[in-house]
Amino acid sequence: MKTLIPLFLCALFSGPAFGAVGCDLNDPDRDVARLFPSSTGYKTQYLSVKTAGGEKLLSRIENRLGDKFKGLYETIDVPYTLYEIYKGKEKIGYIHGVNQKGDYGGIQVFLSIGTDAKIKAFYIQKLTSRAARELRSKDFGAQFTGLSLKDFADYDPVTGKAPDTSPVSKLKSPSAAAENDFHNVLRSVKKNLILTDEFLFSKAVK
Amino acid sequence: MNIYSVAYKNLLRKKTRTALTAAGIALSAWVLATLLGFNRGYENGLNRDIDNMGFQVLLTAKGCPYEAATLMLKGGTGLRYMLEDVVKTVTSNPEVEGVTRMLMQGVFDPNKGENGAIAAYLGVDAQTYPKMKGYLEFKQGGWFTDNTAYEAVMGYEAAELEQREIGDKLLIPGLNAELKVVGVLKRSGTQDDGTIFLPISAVQKIFSKQGKLTGLGIKVKKGADMDAFENRLYDLPDVQVVSMAQVKSTIMSLVTSAKVIVFAIAFIAVIIAMAGVVNTILMSVMERYGEIGILKSMGAMPLDIFRMIWAETAILCSIGGMAGIALSLATARAAEAAVRHFLPFTPNGNMIALDFNIAAGAFGLIVVGGLLSGIYPAWRAARVRPLEAIRSEGE
Repeated sequence: MKTLIPLFLCALFSGPAFGAVGCDLNDPDRDVARLFPSSTGYKTQYLSVKTAGGEKLLSRIENRLGDKFKGLYETIDVPYTLYEIYKGKEKIGYIHGVNQKGDYGGIQVFLSIGTDAKIKAFYIQKLTSRAARELRSKDFGAQFTGLSLKDFADYDPVTGKAPDTSPVSKLKSPSAAAENDFHNVLRSVKKNLILTDEFLFSKAVK
Repeated sequence: MNIYSVAYKNLLRKKTRTALTAAGIALSAWVLATLLGFNRGYENGLNRDIDNMGFQVLLTAKGCPYEAATLMLKGGTGLRYMLEDVVKTVTSNPEVEGVTRMLMQGVFDPNKGENGAIAAYLGVDAQTYPKMKGYLEFKQGGWFTDNTAYEAVMGYEAAELEQREIGDKLLIPGLNAELKVVGVLKRSGTQDDGTIFLPISAVQKIFSKQGKLTGLGIKVKKGADMDAFENRLYDLPDVQVVSMAQVKSTIMSLVTSAKVIVFAIAFIAVIIAMAGVVNTILMSVMERYGEIGILKSMGAMPLDIFRMIWAETAILCSIGGMAGIALSLATARAAEAAVRHFLPFTPNGNMIALDFNIAAGAFGLIVVGGLLSGIYPAWRAARVRPLEAIRSEGE
């Protein structure tokens, strides 16, 4: 009974965390080193569309995405965690993740982005899918390396189509079972690139 | 001019000293009111959380710590089971108002994080569980009604993490079992927020655990002899009994030791404040020695002097007490945040439950304490001999 009660208390009083759910790396120290092997440190920033520009920014993001933010959880106040990656004192890139509704559960897609705004690494942290293994494979993720927001500009997340001239049309779904979640992943990558552009690169240009 | 306005004017003669003494009393009143509010708030919160469990006794298989904890610690491999026959045995007791069957199961999902994680599911009885958890409200949809249906109800945070709404599909990794989300709960501030509820027979079938349970929640009739009932449950083979009364008493014993220290500090704070009152009023009496002598020579009786000095004490304590109560009301949320930070287990809801009774009680204690402290200076003032006082003033 003495061991039982503390365990029971842990379950009874596991603290609630209020506010919209964000997308953080589970183990930032380990994950940053893996996604940016040359890094020596990182800083964390917390951002949201609401605080960065409100309704006006949301509308611009939705226009660029070609789709509305939808459902109970894709909202203006979702917090985003942006990891600024450093090699010594030099900033060498960013890691940013987004949540995406998948066929069977939430998908958490992280991108390592260089200071040139191109994808350096692609990582699905969490995914529930019949083709989860294939979608999380290195081969699938490697297809995204070198792509940027410009390449996703013509991708339509509603129809799941991109013009033949778009580099996105060359991205291959790993299996027929993964088709729906493949398109969910593409939407999340486009959303991720737009958000980092709005939070970082466009802001820097302005 | 009445005695109170004379006393008030006397206090205003030394504004800084009066203000500092009142501030000391205010701090004592603040500590006292906050602690009394905490005492009530904690107990209320604990009772509410335990009532929200919906049942007063939880039966689990012997050797099996609480099922959710086992899943966390052992990755779903350490669960032990009770046979469903235990339901009949338990319900035959006259103290039992109702029971609800539960089966916790977990699977290792390699696609959660870098190293995988456990996905847990709680199978519950569609007929009895919702009645016992009457406080749960839905953001979308409602409970499943069929124990064999491949349906799911998700706690708010579980649904948020999985981005699920009603009508969405849910996949149990590795078992290829597909379920439909029929309900999303509102936030309750309890462990239910992170739980995925499935119909119990469906869980038994999906995980091949037919006829097995990991928990049995027991609601006991009001006024039933809990000790006798629990003793009978202890005699059941291969089960462990977790009584909410025991859980409550364990938490309260954890908190009581902290409360004793804190109340001792509050007591000391009150004593220091009272010593400050004695000092201030006594100094005031000494400084007005000659003046009191003149008042007496003009016909003031010892009781009049006593009342005048005592009125000063009463005014000082009332002002300090009111300021302290106002401070405790203003800082209740900050104090609550601090308590939550330092205590190992804190229930949900308001932890500093300040109401009129507590505020009035704390104020009363401070004023009574102050008046007791004022007796000695007032008595000293009442005993002043007029001639002696006037002579010493002249010297």
